[in-house]
Amino acid sequence: MKRRTLLKHGGTATVIGLAGCTGGGEQGTTTEETTATTTETTTETTTETTEETETATEQSLSGTLKVATYSSFVDAPSSSPGPWLKEEFEKRHPDVTVEYETPDNELNYYIQQQSQGVDIDTDVYVGLNVDHLLRIDEKLGDDALFAPMADSLSNYEHVKESLTFDPQQRAIPYDTGYISLVYDGNEVEQPPETFEDLLADRYEGDLIVQNAKTAATGRAFLLWTVKTLGEDQYLDYWKDLESNGLRILGSWDDAYTAWENGEAPMVVSYSTDQVYANRYDQDMSKHQIGFLNGQGYANPEGMAKFADTDRPEIAEAFMDFVLSKKAQGEIAVRNVQFPATDWADLPAEFEQYAKVPDDPVTFTYEELQGNLDGWVDSWARQIAGGR
Amino acid sequence: MARGEEVGRDAGDARPDTRRPDRTAPTRWLERRALALLGVATVLVLAVVFYYPVLTVFADAVRVGGEWTGEVVRGVLEDPFYFGVLAPIFGGDFGAISEVAAESPLGLFGFTAYQALLSTIASVALGLPGAYVLSRYEFPGRRTVRSLTILPFVMPSIMVAIGFVAFFGANGPLNDLLALFGLGPVNLLFTLEAIVVAHAFYNAPLVARVTTAAWESVDARMVETARSLGANPWHAFRDVLVPQLLPAILTGALLTFIFTFMSFPIVLALGGFQLATVEVWVYSLVQELEYAEAAALAVAETVLSLALTYAYLRYEARQSGGGRAANPPPRKRLLPDSPSLLAALERVGVLAYAAVVAVVFVGPIASMVAESVTGPSGFTLQYYEFLVQRQAEGASFQTKPGVAVRNSVAFGVATLLVALPMGVTISVLTTRGSRGSRLADAAAMAPFAVSGVVVGLGMLRGLVFGVEVWGYRLQVTGPVAIVAAHGVAAYPFVVRNVAPLLGGLDRSLVESARALGATRVRALLDVELPMVASGVAAGTAFAFAISIGEFDSTVILATGSSSYTMPVAVERYIGNRTLGPATAMGTVLLAVTSLSFVVVDRLGGRWEA
Repeated sequence: MKRRTLLKHGGTATVIGLAGCTGGGEQGTTTEETTATTTETTTETTTETTEETETATEQSLSGTLKVATYSSFVDAPSSSPGPWLKEEFEKRHPDVTVEYETPDNELNYYIQQQSQGVDIDTDVYVGLNVDHLLRIDEKLGDDALFAPMADSLSNYEHVKESLTFDPQQRAIPYDTGYISLVYDGNEVEQPPETFEDLLADRYEGDLIVQNAKTAATGRAFLLWTVKTLGEDQYLDYWKDLESNGLRILGSWDDAYTAWENGEAPMVVSYSTDQVYANRYDQDMSKHQIGFLNGQGYANPEGMAKFADTDRPEIAEAFMDFVLSKKAQGEIAVRNVQFPATDWADLPAEFEQYAKVPDDPVTFTYEELQGNLDGWVDSWARQIAGGR
Repeated sequence: MARGEEVGRDAGDARPDTRRPDRTAPTRWLERRALALLGVATVLVLAVVFYYPVLTVFADAVRVGGEWTGEVVRGVLEDPFYFGVLAPIFGGDFGAISEVAAESPLGLFGFTAYQALLSTIASVALGLPGAYVLSRYEFPGRRTVRSLTILPFVMPSIMVAIGFVAFFGANGPLNDLLALFGLGPVNLLFTLEAIVVAHAFYNAPLVARVTTAAWESVDARMVETARSLGANPWHAFRDVLVPQLLPAILTGALLTFIFTFMSFPIVLALGGFQLATVEVWVYSLVQELEYAEAAALAVAETVLSLALTYAYLRYEARQSGGGRAANPPPRKRLLPDSPSLLAALERVGVLAYAAVVAVVFVGPIASMVAESVTGPSGFTLQYYEFLVQRQAEGASFQTKPGVAVRNSVAFGVATLLVALPMGVTISVLTTRGSRGSRLADAAAMAPFAVSGVVVGLGMLRGLVFGVEVWGYRLQVTGPVAIVAAHGVAAYPFVVRNVAPLLGGLDRSLVESARALGATRVRALLDVELPMVASGVAAGTAFAFAISIGEFDSTVILATGSSSYTMPVAVERYIGNRTLGPATAMGTVLLAVTSLSFVVVDRLGGRWEA
């Protein structure tokens, strides 16, 4: 699928847009730069005319840092870490502006840009997981989208070893979630302890999961079954789950909404569920966490620096800041995930309501390589087809 | 019709025309060639924002690694998972048929078609009585109700899902209501039935609207003639009225079938992955960047949709009778003027239908609205406060409700300016043509027949990333691209509402006008369009609705800018654990679109006879 024969050279980016009927003028810019060379040039969309030189000093960082992420990281109604990170980082570096980009198709947007030979003007991506890395490496091969980073970050030593998931050290973990069952304690008297338990008549029609093909939680639950039951057994297990009235909905939102409305008493979700329940004053007995086999499937999230960035120093400073003691605590609380470092200060509320499994499990990059697509595809073909 | 007579007077008067200044030659030249120019403009817009982007994606099905190959398409066609028993037939492996028939007889395509067929039947069954009531009865607020029928059509699927899960859920109001009567509980959710009802919710309004337009322009005199010649009411209805309505009903059915065949978010939210459609597969393949297989599936979807469209157009062409004038019978009142058993029965039927409408349409919408004012501890306005606060204090990278409302309305109006001329032009150019024009007409329906996921992907690659031409990168994004994309998505609805009526007009009217010196465009504007005003009005309402509800292309073209619309905002407000802000935004969307539809319809109505 590498159809890329285009020479990369910064020419003119002509953006045809009309700002007339909506009044929003951001799009209607036509930036023109003529270059006689074939070197990379960037089109500055800011009105600053300061020429970025490659001799930016360590003490005084200046310029615009473009950070790409998923939209709920910056735009969620409850409390996103994005705005806080921007504000704090800009406070520390008064000449730096952080700009967020949240394309709807998230990381795929940049993989597609790279494979089409479009210049990527973004510096950092926040919100990578191991599946993303596999996809990048499969689709782009040696055409590096992200650059290895760990050595240039002073706070990297605080990252928990168990959460690192990129053999090439491009993706730096900044938080992690654990996939578990969330169940309504008023409906489920004895919660299931093992995967085998879920097949019992007692739990018929009681569990809602997400589509493993497109939802992160659904995929984690599927991988957890592969991990526990083995790749020869997991499909049979799912067949049994289905005959026990399992429901597989599309996204996490679809599933969680149905569960909240009492369509079924158990749902696959995150082990931090009670933090939300506490924040929104909900009945705590309705929000119980179930770790099957004492396990939870770990799903660490990472950030990475784009290989083509023109602002590597600012990108590194930003990533180091995300790993800082203060930011780690804030991100955990606002994103409702666990910190990825060993030095975050967490408020009592978080310590009390965010549950950690005794035995976190996960597949490594190497274990998933060459297997992931096959596992998910076989699963999907067994489930779908409207028999 | 006063303007129509003008044409005659102009040319017939020997005296120089004092009412209109002598038009300059260039204007005259423009008017003569207006249709041709509009045709060229239409083709250009289609080429840039539709054909080029989509074809780049379709090419992936037959070009892998720079080589032309039929492997991927063949692989898909011969895969029983996709095509069931057709797969061994496509592959010429007839020995395997029985084995496949036992394993997966329908395949994904077969199941999707079966689901779409059920959804179509349900939509027609639910939409037709509505069309009857709206076109044959006079009651206070009728026009407003007619304007609002299209509302479900624009609701983002996420809102419909929220409303349905809340209303039809195990602990929802419907089951509470049934319990009062000692019935229930009904477990509709996460079944094929739930998908079918949700699809009917979306598409019955479409059927009703298209059919209402036709019903309001039937020629009642033909029925009276038949009756006076001795036909009983049933025969008169069957032989005279039904043929006048059938094309419209089938139009609604066709559009519904294609829509529901390609539906996907609602399928996953209300049915589940076990009931996945082809489009679910296309979406997940695109997510995994498996373009070749996704493109092959999308091509197969498009071939099916266009084949159906073509077959239907052949039928429609045979139907367009010569010269009916719109001459609907007088409307009935809800309380009959002269009580009779038949009249009473009919009113009971209308009441029963109203009850069904209350359950299928009003219930879910009301539940969605109720969610927006319900917090963890009862009634709250906090989600609306959030919207106000976000509007006032939101950062530049956050989604603001006010901006979304403004954009939606502006894009909706701009879409009309694009879609109406495009749709009318194509209607004129393809009406009363040869077999070739049927093909052209089917091709003009293509935007409707291509998977939304694929259109979105094509736009991302072709318009947002742009193409490199002589060292320049041409990109088309922002409001212009969004309006063009909406226009392209919307004009087929204008065509389907206008073309059949235009085809049914009496040719001699246009020919007289032309003989008296009117240009083709003048004849169209002054003679033909006023006579098919109900179709134009329905087309206008649809075009506006399509623009308001469009999500796939908008979210991609609005990337990195503040050109997001209301449905995009709804999706972005679905945050952690609380649907409140999303439902509040959804309620704002409903309010703004309701108001817009009433206004659009009123403005259109001033133009209707």
